[in-house]
Formats: sequence, C-alpha cells, structure tokens
Amino acid sequence: MWGLNLQFGVGGVANLAYVVVVAAGAYTYAVLTLGPPAASGGFQHYVLGLRLPFPVALASAGLAGGVTGVLIGVTGLKRLRQDYQAMVMLVVSLMAGTVVAADTGLFNGNAGLSLIPNPISGVSGMTSGWPYVGIVAACCLIGFVVLRRFTTGPMGRALRAVRDDETAAAAIGKDVVRLRLVVQAAGGVFAGLSGALLVAFIGGWSPAAWAPVETLALLTAVIVGGMGSDAGATVGTLVVTVLLLQGVQFLPEIRSHPGLKEALGWMTLGAVTIAFIWVRPQGIVPERRPRHGREAPPTHVGRIEPLPPPASRPGAGGEAILEVERLVRRFGGVAAVDGASFTVRRGSITGLIGPNGAGKSTALSVISGFLEPGGGAVRFDGADVTGRPAHELARRGLVRTFQLAREFRGLTTLENLLVAAPGQRGEGAPGVLAGRRYWGGQERELVARARGLLAMFGMADREDEPARNLSGGQKRALEVMRALMTRPRLLLLDEPMAGLSPRLAERLEEVLLQLQRQGLSVLLVEHELDVVDRLCEQVVVMAQGRVISTGRMAELRTRREVQDAYVLG
Amino acid sequence: MHLLVDAVGFGIAAGAVIAIGAVGFSLQFGMSNVLNITYGALMTLAAYLGLFLLGRGLSAWAAMPLCAALVGLASVGFRRLVVAPLRRRGTGALGMVIVTVSAGIIVEYAIVAVAGTAAQSYGRQSGATLHLLGMTLTAGQVAIILIAAGLMLGLHLLLTRTTLGRAMRATAANPTLARSCGIATERVGDAAWLLSGGLCGAAGVALALTTVSFDFTLGSVFLIPMIAAAVLGGIGQPYGAMLGALVVGIASEVAGALWDPAYKDVVAFLILIVMLLVRPRGLFGAAWSARRLLA
Repeated sequence: MWGLNLQFGVGGVANLAYVVVVAAGAYTYAVLTLGPPAASGGFQHYVLGLRLPFPVALASAGLAGGVTGVLIGVTGLKRLRQDYQAMVMLVVSLMAGTVVAADTGLFNGNAGLSLIPNPISGVSGMTSGWPYVGIVAACCLIGFVVLRRFTTGPMGRALRAVRDDETAAAAIGKDVVRLRLVVQAAGGVFAGLSGALLVAFIGGWSPAAWAPVETLALLTAVIVGGMGSDAGATVGTLVVTVLLLQGVQFLPEIRSHPGLKEALGWMTLGAVTIAFIWVRPQGIVPERRPRHGREAPPTHVGRIEPLPPPASRPGAGGEAILEVERLVRRFGGVAAVDGASFTVRRGSITGLIGPNGAGKSTALSVISGFLEPGGGAVRFDGADVTGRPAHELARRGLVRTFQLAREFRGLTTLENLLVAAPGQRGEGAPGVLAGRRYWGGQERELVARARGLLAMFGMADREDEPARNLSGGQKRALEVMRALMTRPRLLLLDEPMAGLSPRLAERLEEVLLQLQRQGLSVLLVEHELDVVDRLCEQVVVMAQGRVISTGRMAELRTRREVQDAYVLG
Repeated sequence: MHLLVDAVGFGIAAGAVIAIGAVGFSLQFGMSNVLNITYGALMTLAAYLGLFLLGRGLSAWAAMPLCAALVGLASVGFRRLVVAPLRRRGTGALGMVIVTVSAGIIVEYAIVAVAGTAAQSYGRQSGATLHLLGMTLTAGQVAIILIAAGLMLGLHLLLTRTTLGRAMRATAANPTLARSCGIATERVGDAAWLLSGGLCGAAGVALALTTVSFDFTLGSVFLIPMIAAAVLGGIGQPYGAMLGALVVGIASEVAGALWDPAYKDVVAFLILIVMLLVRPRGLFGAAWSARRLLA
C-alpha cells in the first residue's frame, strides 16, 4: 500500500521534511472525517471533527499538503547551501513531531488518532479492503497522469533548469522564487493526498508513523529509482518498500530479539542508500531527456527578432538604450564600482574594457540585477530599472551571459535553448493541466528557432547531447545562444570569446555584427582588444571602479590615462 | 525565582555536555566541510560502549576516555572508508548529507540489533549535591563541567600552540593552499576526525551520565542542540561553539522550567532554524573569525 501511495513523492524536491507534509494531509483527512470528539466516547481529543464526506476531505488534505509544502518551501528560499537546507528540513520535521506529540488537544498527542473512517466503511456488506484498494489505484492513475504532464512539459524543463543553476535561470527570465514555490506546492498536494489515502486505509495515525526515519525510506526510493525520473521513482518505491521493508518480515523470528528484524531492515536501507550514491548516483532508471523529432526544421537562421519594445512608455525609443549613472557597489570597504557612468547607444556594440579588477564584471552584475547597487541609477529604454530583480530585467529584454559558462547540466543542448524562450504557454497552470495540445504548436516554433541558432554556430549535431558533455568552448557558445533565445534587445556579454576555439570565436564575431544590423544592442566586456577594435565603435574604459575614458579603440590606444591604467593596473 | 536559578545551573551543566559535542562537530565541519549527521549515532555508540564497560565493573570516569578513544578511531575509519572516497568521486553536499544520515541509521539500528530498543541507564551516580551561588548541582554535573572546561582548554592549547593545531587551522581555511604549502592535509584531516570523534565519544558518555535513562535515539536527538550551538557560534569556530553551547543549554533549561519540559528541545530547534535563516555565519560572523581561529 505504501508503494502505491508514495510514488507521488517525485513531485517534491529532495525534501527531508516531506513526511511532515504527508502527515499534514493525514491529520487533515482524519479530523475532517471523524465525528465530534464527544460522540466517539471522548477517549481521544482533537480539533474539528466535522464528519465530512470522503472526496471533500481528500481534497482538503491535498490542499493542506500544498500549503504545508509552501510554508516549508519558504524556509528554503534563503540561499543556503544545499546541506544546510537539508538540515533546516530535518529540524522542521523533528520540531513538528515534538509539538504534535506534546500537544494532546490538537491531534490527541503521542497516542495518535484511531478509528478514522474510509469511504467504504459505512457501506454494509463490504468487509474486505479490496474496494478501497481499487479507489486508491484509480487515484494513483490520475495522479500519475497529472505528474507526467507536470514533469515532461515546458514546466518540468523550467523546474529542472532552476534545479541545475538558479542564477542562470534568473538570467534568462525565470522567476526562481515562484518556480520553487510551485514545485513545493505541487509536491505538497501529492504528499497530502497520499497521507489521506494512507490514513483512510490503515484507520489510525500517530507521531510514530511519520518519524524522520520514514523520510529516509522515501529519499532512498528516489535515489535508488533515479532522481528526476517518474518511472524511476515508481521503481524505487517498489524496490524499497516491497523488497526491503516488507521483505524482512519473512525472516525467521528470533525470540530473544524482538526488534531485530526491523533493525535489520533499516540497516539494509541505509546501506543500499550509500551503495547507490557510491556506485550508481543516477539510480536504476536515470533521468532521460526528450529528443525532438525532425518535424521542425531550422528557421530564422541568422535572425533573432528582438522583442518589440514596450509601446507606450515615455522616453522609450530615445538615443540610448542603457544609461548608467554614478553606479556604486561596495564589497566591505572596497568599492568595486565607484561612481561609474556610461551609456550604450541603441543598435550599437559598445565595448567595456579595463585591467583586471577594474569592476567590469561587477558593473555588469549590478546592471543586470544580480547584485544590489550601493548607489546610482540604471535606466533601460528610458525606464528606471535600478535594483530590479534579474528575471524581471531579462523579461524586459536586458539579458546577460556569465564569464564562466553556466549551462543547465542535466538538460540537452536543445532544451537549454528552449527553456530560455519567453512567454511559454506550457509553463503556466493551464499548460500543465491541458498538456501538449495546449503548448505543442508553440513548442514546434521554438524548436525550429533553437535549431536555427544551433545551425548558425555549427552545433546542429550536438542538439541531443546533455549540456554537461559539451566542450568548454561549446558551453560558452551555448551561453550566448541561450541568451539570444530570450530575444533580448540589449545583450550584456561577459568575455564571450574566452575559451572559444578560433573558428567559434570568428563565427561569434560574425553573428554579433549580423545581429547588430538587425537592431540588437550589445555591451561587450572583453579582454581581447583586437576583437573590441573590430566590433565596437564606442569603447568605455574602466579602472578602479571608475570610467576613465570613452571613445573609439584606435583613439584610446594613444591616450595616456588608458596606457597608464593597463601598465600600472 | 529559585526555580529559575536552578534551571540556569542545569543549563550550564547541559551546556557543558553540548559544548564537548558541539566543539568536536564544529571542528570536524570546519575541517572537512561535510555535514556529518553520523556524529549523533556515534555519540549513542559511545553511550552504549560506556554501558558495556560499566557492566564489566569499570567506573564511568574510566570508561569515558576509553570510549572517547574508540569512537575517535571509529570516526577516522568512517572518514577513511566512506567520506574521503565519496569525496574523491565528486559526491555533492546533499549526497554527503544523505550518506551520513544513512550511516547514522545503520549505526543506530546496529545498536538496536545488539542491545534492543529498551531504555538503558548508567544507574545512580554519586548522590552528593553541591550548592553554588544558589544553584544545586550533583557532583557528577560539576565533574562534567570541569571536564568540559579542561577539554576546551586543551583544545585551545592544541590549536594555538602546536604545529598540528596550526596545520589544522590552515587546512580549514584553505585546503588547496595548505596542501601546496606542504601540509599533509589528508593526515591532518584524519587527526581532526580523530579529535572530533574523541570529543564525540566523551560527550556521549557525559550525556548518558547526566540523563536518567536513554535509548538508541540518544545521540540523534542530541544532535540538534549540538548543531544549534555550533551554528550559533559560527561553524568551524570552536570558541563560538563553546559559547553557543552555553546559550543553548541555558535557554533550553530555562524554557523547560518556565513553560513545559516537553518543549525543551523545541528551543534548540528554533535557535537553529532562526540562525540558519537569518545569520548562517553565526552570531559573531566575520569579526570572530578574524581572530585567527578555525575557518
């Protein structure tokens, strides 16, 4: 029974407080279906006691699970290291257990609730549990279909992107906070439902039933089966619950050690978990990424069609697409950017150069919303965007790339591009529920555009390769392509040429010039001055956090202050 | 009022036990960057080893160093056989936590398989009580406070006055740099795990001595106040952990006295969660670590 119920666990992330959510669903179901406490002789105390019908209680349990999931998820929003986060979850589950066990008025404390009705218990003549098994199986089937829609479409792709690299996901306009809460809520709903189904089956529920050690069983199931794979979670659950936990029941009983069998079961479970992390961290059924058929030939080769500028904004359409004014950013006592001002003209490629430590990358991070400014202003397309979050800026058309490539490791090359496309129908609730019918058409267009980009960079044959397998230079190129996929109007490139093969670098230069002719504006941070010379009509020189000179590259080479900055650092 | 003073006294005693464990935990975490949940189970192991030795007629005070040594060796073994190889295979932070949780469960249930789930006790230790500044403490509690103070002083001297201590601090601060300076970081790591395992063992016996009865969950329950103390003081900073241990110990005991003993642990949970969410670097943050301590 556990097996069928727990396969829903995949919706959640590796969440050590998962059992708490299951428990929330179970308790909700219990107190909603039970009669008033006094009616059952008053031997157990609890809140509510509404005697609601099964479907209502089940739905409420799902809701309770979702809410609990979000509440726990909020603690995970703070950017803690993964292991710290895991610890917070562990502590939350311990704390919840302690409180529920100690407070007898809420759910009857440590003794737990019993005599919880299930939908067939009132029907006369049904003494076996089989009809209920049927109901659960039906729920599982529906659940699995919904789950598949959730994990396989654009929504699942966006979630995996967030999982692989939050920062890069924000850079292409994904609202990381919203996506993480969505996954917590969805996982919570599944957990709450599974808790309700379980508690209706066994009829009783107490703190001992959801000790933190049960979470390990769930985690083991996910790890053994394969993280991020729906089929894997099903396999893992079957293996863990059926083979390990139930399997030890068939060992011969040893009179002198009553707890021995259970102990052996848990020990095996622990050993299996370690063994899998050691030998086969991807699990029995590894995460598979979809391949896209040949139905969408490349289009838009050599064209990116920047997003149209928002129509009715005063000041939009002016000469400068980006104006940076007296920008300041301090780290401790050091002002990495110390009052820098410059502009990027619409439709130009502007270079930003300077010796190491001049504050170029920091300036880029502040402009693109990854770092809070310590002072000054940033105007994009006439609108003040100072200190706005990165994903919002990306959606407005201001997109950056990173100095070190940040690919979504678990996604294929093609998916890395697809996930970046703005305004995807499959990323909202209707897209998840309605499935491919709703977003399939748009998806085909996106595949075609992505293939167009891949063709431009001569990487068409790599589209189904997981991004982690690409070479360093290809990852850099992917980074630029992904940024282009968002259809930016201003592209901030942080040393895009570094690490590129000469062939790819040449290709990128051509592409940038081509895109510029189509109206794309670029701010290019680059150390290779020859490249800057060829591409940029306007170059800004920074040193020690300030702009020390502006002009054409040829003029700058002759200027005293620029030479000094490079020689003296 | 008297209740409160007594609670503070108990809090100091509890803090002393937490301190022994938390300092070891903090040292280990600072050195290896692995959140080692197995630490709790090893503490339980020490408590049961102590029980076994007590059954053989040893006194608890003789059992403590012996248990400390054995658990220290177990800790090094765990590092050598599980943690270090997995590290080399590139297992991530989350994977390591799951591994240490699993290993902890294996140790715990191995104890269950041998000793069962029944509650155990070291029996009544010397019944003499001491009165100090209005606080009433048993002789055992006073002894543990003294032992804790002694261990802390020893650790301080080790970290600041010996080559090994300097090597440990260097490795904690930057393992790569330490290695390229000619420090045998692997051996230094072993030493750190031996030391922290020893502290873990001593804490396990001390904990068993001061609680009325315990079972196989002893250490994993106690892990939370310990981690809370370590985080409060800033992970990897032993002096912070000492202070953190006192804060957690006194806060829990006072809350238990004023409110409901069942919620005693909840105080530690809350401290830990709030610290992790609000100030994960610890109360003293960067200012503290500037004083040439670990990390």
